[in-house]
Amino acid sequence: MTVLALAPRLDLSHVAELAEILRGQTGGDLVLDAGAVSHLGGLGLQLLAAAAKTWRAQGHSLTIHPRSAAFDEALDTFGVGLADLQSEEAA
Amino acid sequence: MATDPMAEIRASFFVECEELLESLQDALGEMDEGQHDNETINVVFRAVHSIKGGAGAFGLDALVAFAHRYETVLDELRSGRMEVSPEAMKLFFHAADLLQDHVRAARDAGPTPDGAEDCLIALEALIGGGAGPAPVEEEVSDFQPMGLSLDFGAPEDDLVEAAPEPPVWQICFTPSPALYASGNEPLHLLRALQALGTAEVRCMLDDLGDLDTLTPEDSALSWTILLTGDLSEAEIREVFDFVEDVSTLDITQVTADRAPAEEFGMDVDQGFGVPSGAVDVPTAAPPKDIAPAVAVPALPGPQSPPAASAAKDTAAPTEASATVRVDLDRIDRLVNLVGELVINQAMLAQSVAEAGLPPNSAVMTGLEAFMMLTRDIQDSVMMIRAQPVKPLFQRMARIVREASAAVGKEVRLRTEGEATEVDKTVIERLADPLTHMIRNAVDHGLETPDKRVAAGKSSEGVITLSAQHRSGRVVIEVSDDGAGINRPKVREIAIAKGLIPADALLSDSDIDNLLFLPGFSTATQVSALSGRGVGMDVVRSAIQSLGGRITIHSEPGKGTRFSISLPLTLAVLDGMVVNVAGETLVVPLSSILETATLAEGDIRALGPETNVIHVRGTFVPLYDLGAELGYRHPKSSYDGGIVLLTALENGARSALVVDAIMEQRQVVIKGLQRSYGHIPGVAAATILGDGQIALILDPADLVQNASGRTRAAELALAG
Repeated sequence: MTVLALAPRLDLSHVAELAEILRGQTGGDLVLDAGAVSHLGGLGLQLLAAAAKTWRAQGHSLTIHPRSAAFDEALDTFGVGLADLQSEEAA
Repeated sequence: MATDPMAEIRASFFVECEELLESLQDALGEMDEGQHDNETINVVFRAVHSIKGGAGAFGLDALVAFAHRYETVLDELRSGRMEVSPEAMKLFFHAADLLQDHVRAARDAGPTPDGAEDCLIALEALIGGGAGPAPVEEEVSDFQPMGLSLDFGAPEDDLVEAAPEPPVWQICFTPSPALYASGNEPLHLLRALQALGTAEVRCMLDDLGDLDTLTPEDSALSWTILLTGDLSEAEIREVFDFVEDVSTLDITQVTADRAPAEEFGMDVDQGFGVPSGAVDVPTAAPPKDIAPAVAVPALPGPQSPPAASAAKDTAAPTEASATVRVDLDRIDRLVNLVGELVINQAMLAQSVAEAGLPPNSAVMTGLEAFMMLTRDIQDSVMMIRAQPVKPLFQRMARIVREASAAVGKEVRLRTEGEATEVDKTVIERLADPLTHMIRNAVDHGLETPDKRVAAGKSSEGVITLSAQHRSGRVVIEVSDDGAGINRPKVREIAIAKGLIPADALLSDSDIDNLLFLPGFSTATQVSALSGRGVGMDVVRSAIQSLGGRITIHSEPGKGTRFSISLPLTLAVLDGMVVNVAGETLVVPLSSILETATLAEGDIRALGPETNVIHVRGTFVPLYDLGAELGYRHPKSSYDGGIVLLTALENGARSALVVDAIMEQRQVVIKGLQRSYGHIPGVAAATILGDGQIALILDPADLVQNASGRTRAAELALAG
């Protein structure tokens, strides 16, 4: 199981890089550490949601833990549930 | 009129469901014909998805659960992980039918349809596993903006209680890539909105691609926000002040007195299943390309913001007013009023005529203009009631699927003239007879695949359902490319059942028409499909009660065609006003071929009591309307008499004797069935200009039941 720490700002400036990293992690279970995230933007959100789809499709788990308060608050504001960004699939 | 605004919104949802089901059937039909492009598949997906979303908002769990599992399989198809196979298409069609049943069950609070689970399991087997139960709570957040729900995922009762005091605004917001590139952020905008009032935010995630297809810098999400608060639109727009040019924004007020669907310019043209009896009145551009678009969720990629917003932005001012949903009662009231107007106008015309004014007087000229206007108004009102036959035909597609599966035949339904418009009432009342005819065509008309192949035909039978306008009437035809009517067998059965004498001399057409005799059934076994004791006689009487006629044309080895000819409307007709034995009667103009005055030598005796007349080389049976209707005994001579030559369903003619032809005019049909039941030979009644009530005859029915007595035999009373 791989743990990947997310950058504090998940916005335009970081999504391309993060997308590359995530693509490199496909094919196995992954834990994203969002404990340090201070800003989750729309692009960050869609990237995580897309990643969750990929992980779900591949039957691997993707979880986001721990999460910062800012991360959870942003999810709430966006009207998105945590389940949308995770994959509960067992490996 | 519904008074409960929430019930109205709920009703709108079901109306939209019908619309989505229609586009679902359309797209599945296209796929079945080999069109497997992404757009077609997307239309299928979106339709199911939108129904699921709306159903979630109303807490219709069974519907959500079914749609979810169906959608999951469709998603595999959409993502290219699954191939379209004939087997899959069958299941997709079946699931679409079941989805329709689920929608109806939800609407009418009926039991959930049988066989749904089997179908879903079969569907899921296609993708190698179950989709799992619908995560209702979560899925609700996928609800596509149809402007329906005021409270997401809440049970309906809660919705009713939550009737909005302050206005509720629906905001559909789709950022473009430029929004992000210019340093703006939806998060801040959403926060600002939430500060304005109570906001329900839902993010449209469903159409987001996966990691492989996503371009990280592109905008692929959109949001729908329901904002409750004492706000003006301007105050909401202010929030988006700096991003209006880099996003798609659609703000609509969702209030109880405006059915939300209208706000999207949605049109409903179904003639069936409209829950509140509402009918849409097209007033502008055909909304066909808008309706599906409303349900389009955001596609991945920056160039495809949700079509609802896009459509709104580009065409909002006109589309929003493209249709008006009007309660059917109101239209009926209008139709009745126009009917009264026509009667009143006739009375006025009569008074003017009696006043003996000169033909070019101002009153006469004015009256003529008034009559033309009345005619125009009447035509326009009738057009409001007119609806395309497409939904009816789609229902028949389902009947074909179910019927062919039941008897193990391969059948393809071809439809033509789906856009043909017919009075809504006619469409509704046509469903049952048409269903029966389609079942008959599948069961009796088409041969089994083996026999077809043996006869050098394709194993797949074709049933064609067509509609067209022909000389002021609507002609609907059901034809098959089967073996044609087995006339020797029909004849044999008719004799065995005592319907005809064994030595009867019958033409092919006469034999074909035996099918319409009560209780006739050619199937030697009662099959599960047809042959339930409801025969073509019931079909024929249903068609006749609509003022229609049905004819058969059959060619051995090539197939059978049933033609139904119907009046365009059930409200007015052009008739010939005639006098018979002092009674005023109206004969529909559509049934009259010509009128003639009988001369000596035209009449020939046939049998003890009947006469025929000689017209242009053919002999036509003579019927005395006065005698047939019981007004008088047959006359001793018909020399110099006036006859109306009418056409029967099978092409045969008959000559009806009348005493005088008074005029030709449009009459308003006033039904008699409710008070008097079916009267043989009489279709309805009307009120004439002088206030007199006149019967409107149904010549075909009259002749069928006629005695044909045109010579006074002793004690021969008319009957």
